[in-house]
Amino acid sequence: MQLMTSVTERPHKSPQPDLVPFSERFPAPRYRRILGADRSTVVYWAVIIALAVFVLAPVVPTLIQALSDRPLYEQGGVFTLDNFTRLFTEADFGGVALNTVMFAVLTTLLTLVIAVPMAIIVVRTDIPGRRIFGAGMQWPFFISSLILGFGWITMYGPAGFVSTWMRTIVGVVPWNLYSIPGMAITEAVALAPIAYVFCANALRNADASLEGAAQTVGAGPFRILRSVVIPLLRPPVVYSSILVFSMSIETLSVPLLYGQPVDITVFATFLYKNGLQSINPDYGVLGAASTIILAVTVLLVMIQARLLKDAKRFVSVRGKATRPRLLDLGWVKYLAVAFVTVYIVIGAALPIGGLVFRSFTSFFTPLANPFNALTLANYELIVQFPTYLQSIRNSLVVASIGAVVVSLFATVAVVVARRSTFRYRRLIEYLALAPQAMPGLIIGIGLFWAFAYLPFGAGNLIQGTLGALIIAFGLRSLPSAFGSISPAVMQIGEELDNAARVSGADWIRTFTRILGRLLTPAFGAALILTFVTMMKEYSPAIFLGSSKTNIIGTTMLELWVQGNTGSVAALATTQIVITAAFVGVAGLLMRGKKD
Amino acid sequence: MPDVVISKLHKEFSGTTVLSEIDIHIKDGEFFTLLGPSGCGKSTTLSCLAGLEKPTSGHIAIGDVVFFDSDDHTYVPPEARNLGMVFQSYALWPHMTLEQNLAMPLNIRKVPKAEQKTLIYEALDKVGMAHLMKRYPHQLSGGQQQRIALARALVYSPRVLLLDEPLSNLDAKLREQARVWLKRLQTELGITTIYVTHDQEEALAMSDRIAVMSNGNLMQVGTPEEIYETPATAEVAAFIGKSNFIDGTIESVSNGTATISTEDGGAVIEAPLDGAFAAGDAVTVAFRPERATLVPTAAAEPEESVVLSGTVIAASYVGSRVEYAVKFGRRTLLVDHYRSGFSGEVGISVPFDAVRVYPRTAVVSDDVEELMAATV
Repeated sequence: MQLMTSVTERPHKSPQPDLVPFSERFPAPRYRRILGADRSTVVYWAVIIALAVFVLAPVVPTLIQALSDRPLYEQGGVFTLDNFTRLFTEADFGGVALNTVMFAVLTTLLTLVIAVPMAIIVVRTDIPGRRIFGAGMQWPFFISSLILGFGWITMYGPAGFVSTWMRTIVGVVPWNLYSIPGMAITEAVALAPIAYVFCANALRNADASLEGAAQTVGAGPFRILRSVVIPLLRPPVVYSSILVFSMSIETLSVPLLYGQPVDITVFATFLYKNGLQSINPDYGVLGAASTIILAVTVLLVMIQARLLKDAKRFVSVRGKATRPRLLDLGWVKYLAVAFVTVYIVIGAALPIGGLVFRSFTSFFTPLANPFNALTLANYELIVQFPTYLQSIRNSLVVASIGAVVVSLFATVAVVVARRSTFRYRRLIEYLALAPQAMPGLIIGIGLFWAFAYLPFGAGNLIQGTLGALIIAFGLRSLPSAFGSISPAVMQIGEELDNAARVSGADWIRTFTRILGRLLTPAFGAALILTFVTMMKEYSPAIFLGSSKTNIIGTTMLELWVQGNTGSVAALATTQIVITAAFVGVAGLLMRGKKD
Repeated sequence: MPDVVISKLHKEFSGTTVLSEIDIHIKDGEFFTLLGPSGCGKSTTLSCLAGLEKPTSGHIAIGDVVFFDSDDHTYVPPEARNLGMVFQSYALWPHMTLEQNLAMPLNIRKVPKAEQKTLIYEALDKVGMAHLMKRYPHQLSGGQQQRIALARALVYSPRVLLLDEPLSNLDAKLREQARVWLKRLQTELGITTIYVTHDQEEALAMSDRIAVMSNGNLMQVGTPEEIYETPATAEVAAFIGKSNFIDGTIESVSNGTATISTEDGGAVIEAPLDGAFAAGDAVTVAFRPERATLVPTAAAEPEESVVLSGTVIAASYVGSRVEYAVKFGRRTLLVDHYRSGFSGEVGISVPFDAVRVYPRTAVVSDDVEELMAATV
């Protein structure tokens, strides 16, 4: 405070020359106007128009096709509801819907059976190695469900390693992977970590004094679990059930790998079969099916949004960090450890490890020692064929360019949605999150039609190029990119941009000088997230890809159909290594920057 | 030189009125304060002036430059208003050094680099922070950040300086010093300053004029003396300083003096009137504790005074004076007296010019009233 007094003693200096009027010594800056609108408004409109075009591009042609009597590219289509009739009579869509519901319900139940006890055990009990188990639940971030499916078939499929081993010892294999329960259990293993995250967060945020109160009235650890902890989990359980249900309705990988050989068809495989495998695809039926599936997923996403909003109202998170006491389970803790270990080892580690091991052998069966069959032939095959090698390059190009473009666009969109006076800013958020409700295959089919529909053959410029894949994959990963940046924007005090505005910066300048800079770490995180998501993505490429634009996922499917499982394993291993290396390096770079 | 004119300013948030028909005229060079409890609309008024919020209707201008007018759809965005503003959180950009923070508004105005250097140095020097210009905001204390925020708002010689509770995040001791310093700096620069605060002491000490706001309404505009000595309404009297309130009914009016019978004490008060009241009106009589004195019941009634009789129920010695709580009817009245020693039955003597009569208003919350009635 000596400083302050010394200031007040200083002689007063005239603040400005007398001739210049005080107020206009440095007049406020003038910003260029474009077509009569200020340039920030132009950006707002550019964002919302781009969003609307890309989000509606796959949807509108699908709806039109569903109600048209001939393929979109043929002239003179007539409005008809015939497609829907044929869908249920000729194409047996009712049976498909039944399969889908059975698969989704079973998946959801199994997911909860795995995830809920897991969350309680890892977060609230005193089992050893809790941190490792918690970190282990993040494996699906690196591994796509397609690869998990390959891994499960390699180990537990009819000719899988474990199944064969079982047959030689017991005589029979007591399970059948190629069935709806088999599909459901694999999918549940893949989706359990999502439900786990919701439940674990709810448990971490719960007020620990509730349990303390139960303890003081004499409740033992199991009583506390039953009467206090489990009821707390109801909101996350309901929410993650809906989420898992809607994800299993749209998933392609596992139903495709398991269901195709035994002719079990669900929504996604129906589209796959009718759109791709039939020689003369019935576009009307395809459109009608897509429309119905879209309606279902949109409805589910709306329920999710509603639940999440309601859940927020009832959250009892206090700022105070109370560290919950861990419950002492006694001897039961060894059962708990066994449960968690079984999930991680049998569910993920063994199939993935087996797949990686498979990539280095020429055959893989317990009947002969696989260590005698070690080889690099699977990798050599990929390197020898330029198309295979190119698919790795394509995946990298799509994921890198896509990650940058999507993260940049998402950042701008979030800032317009959250920090502007644009009249339609709420709509921007809805549009950016809308692709959540669009299954990958439908985005692929819809964009395929959209490009075919573009006037002057403009679509031919993009149809069958990597650009088309970047658009489709980008659309798929936009909601998660938007969702990861949004909280970061909310954390930056609004007074920081107000200060910039008052001191003369328009919205664009505030973004480039202040908000954009402060959002750099969030941008980096979104970059990693979108890169990994787009690296794993493949379903839109099934329709949009061409022989030149194969990516790792589509090439794996191709090799799988050819029965070349060794090379599938090699490609899968390559994809896992690329993802892990990227996340590792990017993580290190970001940490270095923070210091 | 330009005056700040706000007229008929109206603002609604989704149907709720937060500002209704605010009229303020701020003279050039004036230190003008918007004072009121939180949620009264003072910050909204400031935001409308800065352009950060768009009013629903009304007119805002500085000199002949119109910033907002709902009739001809004029709206000047904040960046084009050339105002300086200091925020409650200081809002220093965390990724820039102090020098860069100050350079930003100058860069935007395309001020040549050499001139920027002088301006930044001068502005930082004015707030005594020139030696820290290479530091980042998080390396400074709250008081230092507050001064940098002020320097950043002044460096480009804005038309008007807007201050949104700039001292509220400082600790009490520092706040008092900062108050003196800020007022001196403002006088030196002669810049029109609009200051928002909920702290009445701050407002009284610093302002040329004060506007008292409550629930989106402007209650009174005046000099600190006017606001304190002659509050326009009972609410203003309650908000600024301490006041005693007694509800009553006017029995008769003659020669500008009213005879008021109090509802609870059964006493009769003779008080001068300066408003239009008639017999039968329900009124609230107010006076400040420090304007009242205690007199022994036996003593002769002082001239030109209202005298109420009550019972002393508590006396707190606070050094410079003694604060007495005197039971009067069902109410407890506060009286600041210069000496101790009173107890039992006393007279409370209030000079005529310290008594204010207002239309009946519920200024004291039910809770407080209950508590007062419960004492002893």
